[in-house]
Amino acid sequence: MPTLLLEIGCEELPAAACEAAARQLPELVGRHVPGGGESLVLVGPRRLAFLVEDVPEREDDRVERRRGPSEAIAFGEDGQPTKAAEGFARSNGVPVEELERADGFVWAEQRVEGRSAAELLPEALARVVTGLAFPKTMRWDASGLRFARPVRWLCAKLDAETIPVGVGAVPSGGTSQGHRFTAGDVEIADASAYADRLREAGVEPDQRVRRGEIVRALDDLGEWHDPEGVLAEVVHLVERPLVLTGAYDERFLELPLRVIETVMQAHQRYFPLGPGRFAFVANGGDPDVVRAGNENVLAGRLDDAAFSYARDVERGLDAMRGSLPAITFHARAGSFADKADRLEELSGLLGGGDASREAARLAKADQASTMVHEFPELQGFMGAVYARLAGLPEAVAAAIEEQYRPAGAGDELPQTAAGRVLAAADRVDNLTTAFALGERPTGSRDPYGLRRAAIGLCRLAVEGGLEIDLAELVRRDLELLTRQSAEVRDDPSDVWDFVLERLEGLLDVPVEFVRAARASGLREIGAVARLATTLAAEADSEAFAGAYTAFDRANRLAGRADGAAAALDTRLMVEPAEDALVEALAAAGPRIESAVGAGDFGTALDAAAELGPPVDRFFDEVLVMADDAAIRANRLRLLLDVRDAVGLLGDLTQIPR
Amino acid sequence: MSEAPTYQEMLLRLERFWADHGCVIQQPYHTEVGAGTFNPATFLRCLGPDPWRAAYVEPSLRPSDGRYGENPYRFQQFWQYQVVLKPAPEDVLAVYFESLRALGIDPTAHDVRLVEDDWEGPTLGAWGLGWEVWIDGLECTQFTYFQQLGGLELDHVTAEITYGTERLAMFLQGKRSAFDLVWTEGVTWGDVFRENERQWSVYNFEEADVPLLVRRFEEHERECERLLAREDPLPLPAYDQVLKCSHVFNLLDARGAISVTERAAYIARVRHLARRVALAYLAGRPVPEEDHADAAA
Repeated sequence: MPTLLLEIGCEELPAAACEAAARQLPELVGRHVPGGGESLVLVGPRRLAFLVEDVPEREDDRVERRRGPSEAIAFGEDGQPTKAAEGFARSNGVPVEELERADGFVWAEQRVEGRSAAELLPEALARVVTGLAFPKTMRWDASGLRFARPVRWLCAKLDAETIPVGVGAVPSGGTSQGHRFTAGDVEIADASAYADRLREAGVEPDQRVRRGEIVRALDDLGEWHDPEGVLAEVVHLVERPLVLTGAYDERFLELPLRVIETVMQAHQRYFPLGPGRFAFVANGGDPDVVRAGNENVLAGRLDDAAFSYARDVERGLDAMRGSLPAITFHARAGSFADKADRLEELSGLLGGGDASREAARLAKADQASTMVHEFPELQGFMGAVYARLAGLPEAVAAAIEEQYRPAGAGDELPQTAAGRVLAAADRVDNLTTAFALGERPTGSRDPYGLRRAAIGLCRLAVEGGLEIDLAELVRRDLELLTRQSAEVRDDPSDVWDFVLERLEGLLDVPVEFVRAARASGLREIGAVARLATTLAAEADSEAFAGAYTAFDRANRLAGRADGAAAALDTRLMVEPAEDALVEALAAAGPRIESAVGAGDFGTALDAAAELGPPVDRFFDEVLVMADDAAIRANRLRLLLDVRDAVGLLGDLTQIPR
Repeated sequence: MSEAPTYQEMLLRLERFWADHGCVIQQPYHTEVGAGTFNPATFLRCLGPDPWRAAYVEPSLRPSDGRYGENPYRFQQFWQYQVVLKPAPEDVLAVYFESLRALGIDPTAHDVRLVEDDWEGPTLGAWGLGWEVWIDGLECTQFTYFQQLGGLELDHVTAEITYGTERLAMFLQGKRSAFDLVWTEGVTWGDVFRENERQWSVYNFEEADVPLLVRRFEEHERECERLLAREDPLPLPAYDQVLKCSHVFNLLDARGAISVTERAAYIARVRHLARRVALAYLAGRPVPEEDHADAAA
């Protein structure tokens, strides 16, 4: 069976568009191309293509079943077909006696001949082209067609047969284009020859092959780095990768290596090869000429960076700190100086010592530096460089450097204690400020990266062991914001729930245990996490079963009933089972409380479990809903006291049993 | 490149090339602009259905990019070579690469690439998609297919080609500093502009009178509104008031006189004017005062 090719020829596509197409094409082909099973997807800057083998030459014939009039209308009282039935049969090309009767209607079956591939492919392929969705699209001609960049040709072949595809005003035929500067038109005589023809014309159409070639060539050069992850983009910046190396003057090594690497990667998509050398991937040209040009460009970029760096060094970190009042952190929440003041205070509450407070005071000073203005991704790093140059203690410099960690899911936590404190303070302040100003994330909109901040905060508590008394920190931060005249419009105390929701995805326990623990009343992130973990580990234990019983039975009845007494009155107790439960509660309650307070949740659970049997006995022997209103109210109170005592371990009924 | 063209020779070759491709060769506009896009030969002419091709050198003023003539890559005034082709011809990229050949750049000897660059001009309510053109790693041209101007979807998509003349000349002449560019035999770019950079940097960063500028912004804004509110509106003079507002805003920004909040508000005011001018230009009729719908961009 024949092979099908479609190539969408474009002006240079962004890498993200290439990848979006690579993700979508298999599904679009499966949906629109008959028999379109496995497709080979080939994407690059000037073409999005796919090949499908064994496309059926014609669709299967199929039977279409159509519903006609109701039986009552189709057949007269005499059982003979009416004019309505005859008309329906005729319009479907079947004899009236072949009409079926089912479900109160008559039905006609019609055999529809499958179309040939050549007949149906033009439309099917047009649908594939117009079905592609990109993050950003544009128009370029009067047809109004939208795509990531202009589409300039379509090349569709079914084996040797050219399939015309009508999309916008784009010419369609059996011709492709080779390398932009070294080859012209390329006739594709047969679909299966597509990749070979392009390779002869200076184009490697397979992104996997291009990537492999680049990586192999870089490996051959020795140790190479890609700290900002530009490789994925570079694969789609070239059609025929030419990996070259260049060198830069040693005098630039006075700049921090990371600055040099950022200049290389952010501006030029180079790969650092260790001091003084770099690799880059060209799309062609004379290697010596291209190398010389790139070396010249990098030297210029580094000169510019060195100029900015020298200005910053001359100015010094303290002078930068001094200009923070003039730099806005948030239009409605003051300057970076205000923020630094809040961070200092929060760092203290987080148990930070002198290094933490000094680091907090200087944490944002580099926002006033020329380097961070030019390279925002170097924030924190530049501050640390300038702090070291200013002779500040290493603990302070390290904390400034680490404050933005963890930046993402896989990123490491700060290594130093002061770094963890500052990182937590910064996140708490970002969350509190946004929530207080009414800028909570909604749906996919999270411009300040608050979800990431919340996850980072959880990780600092859980993995970093930092005690983060979040509710108290938010409360204090709000006071500071208010005092600094920020335009507070909302109560930000729901930061707690927002952050703790992230814990559900972070801990390696079923979410129900996290939800149970969140209801415990604990207000420190790490404690909630440890409680959830303890509950999950103990879920099958007898202790858990006992505590669960006590909580569940007490809560189920008393939690929903009205009329509990304000306080327990022992004089109103008449049954021995009541006395037994009160005694058990008096023994267990304080132990639960102190163990939870000490974070010893295993012990607390053991104590809570002691309430299981007396609660069971209570329910066996005592009628809670007694006729005497005072006795009833007292019994409800007793159950509520039991529930609240065990409830220090969370809402155990969240956990399915 | 056996013989590198001088800076002025390079400009002359571009003029010749684009004249041969049917462009109206215009001269720089007389009012301060931040980029060739602001010149009415681009902003206004690219609105509406009429075909238009123009090319011109544009002095581009970016007050906050000044470095007192001390940094060989940053200037408060640099020179763009601007080409607009409306509607964008199908072979526009091929023609552009042809223009590089006219300058003596053989694309088969160099690594010429188009790297994604989405352009947005918030004060003009304008955006488009296109590329930075890299030659051996050097960004020397911005290429944009306009999608909106003044917040309005365009009838015809214009291709805008903006050559960074200093960078291109540095590439052609193999210079690492714009000040060393040979303008013409015996005269460098630095001879012509270094002192200019120094004095204007002092003015932009230190001397420009903030209260005066704030007042000017408001006066130009009022003047623009007045010209648009006439029975028979005058969008062309009104547009110059938009340019004045935009430049005054850039000066205030360089003086550090604008907070982040105010910044957004100033930009919105200029964009609002630009949109009203665009509507008046298209309609050739009075614009109702109540049309305060702002640009979506």
